[in-house]
Amino acid sequence: MAITTEELAGGITQVILEGRLDIENSPAVDTRMKAIAGDRNSVLVDLRKVSFLGSMGLRALVAPALAIQGRGGKLVLFGPNEMVTKVLKVSGIETMIPIHHEFQSALAALR
Amino acid sequence: MTGRETNQAEEKLILQSRLSEIAQLPVWIESLSRRHAIPENVEFAINLCLEEAVSNVIRHGYGAGAGGSVIVSFNRTEQGLFVFLIEDQARCFNPLEAPAPDHSRTIRVGGQGIPLLRHFTDKLEYEWTPTGNRLKLFFSSACPEL
Repeated sequence: MAITTEELAGGITQVILEGRLDIENSPAVDTRMKAIAGDRNSVLVDLRKVSFLGSMGLRALVAPALAIQGRGGKLVLFGPNEMVTKVLKVSGIETMIPIHHEFQSALAALR
Repeated sequence: MTGRETNQAEEKLILQSRLSEIAQLPVWIESLSRRHAIPENVEFAINLCLEEAVSNVIRHGYGAGAGGSVIVSFNRTEQGLFVFLIEDQARCFNPLEAPAPDHSRTIRVGGQGIPLLRHFTDKLEYEWTPTGNRLKLFFSSACPEL
């Protein structure tokens, strides 16, 4: 799985994930997300290129979100496909991490 | 011995009880999907549920113990359901008895696996036998709506 970051205006960090967030790839994502969550307070996790999300992948998203929110920061999820969105909803993740399908609304939620 | 065994009525994948073995699942499922015309969304659901169920067997059923195996078999019913049977010799664990999630409480890290199994399958059947656990997962050709 590829993980890249871009710094956007307004102090927002865009984390772009590409590939399968499965049990094999989740540890690397978890490590990278923890590092990002350690010193960023506005994070947009771009899921447009994530083709699969399993329960281990959910952990890699929830843990950094809790860390950032605990400091008063914000993390949002952007652009999950239909099935990834279903996983997020069934697991209840959307009750704590906002999901946006429009880029501008995701940015607005972080400002 | 691990690997694929095929015959006309059933296809089978045999995994050793190591988490690294789970990487074989998506490749096997993709092959099944091509040959049996499994819709893309259903293939996703199958990947999701088998990864969860098999990882639970390896982590919680076998635990630190080595040398066990997990056998995943595929078949189709006369009604066209895609059926996966997971068999292992680990300690007794019935995922159907896991409590339903309480989303009114703060989401914690972990614990979402069993609810995903329940939602993304049409039916789950569990049986404990003298030789171990048998978990059967049924998938219809249409993915469940939320």
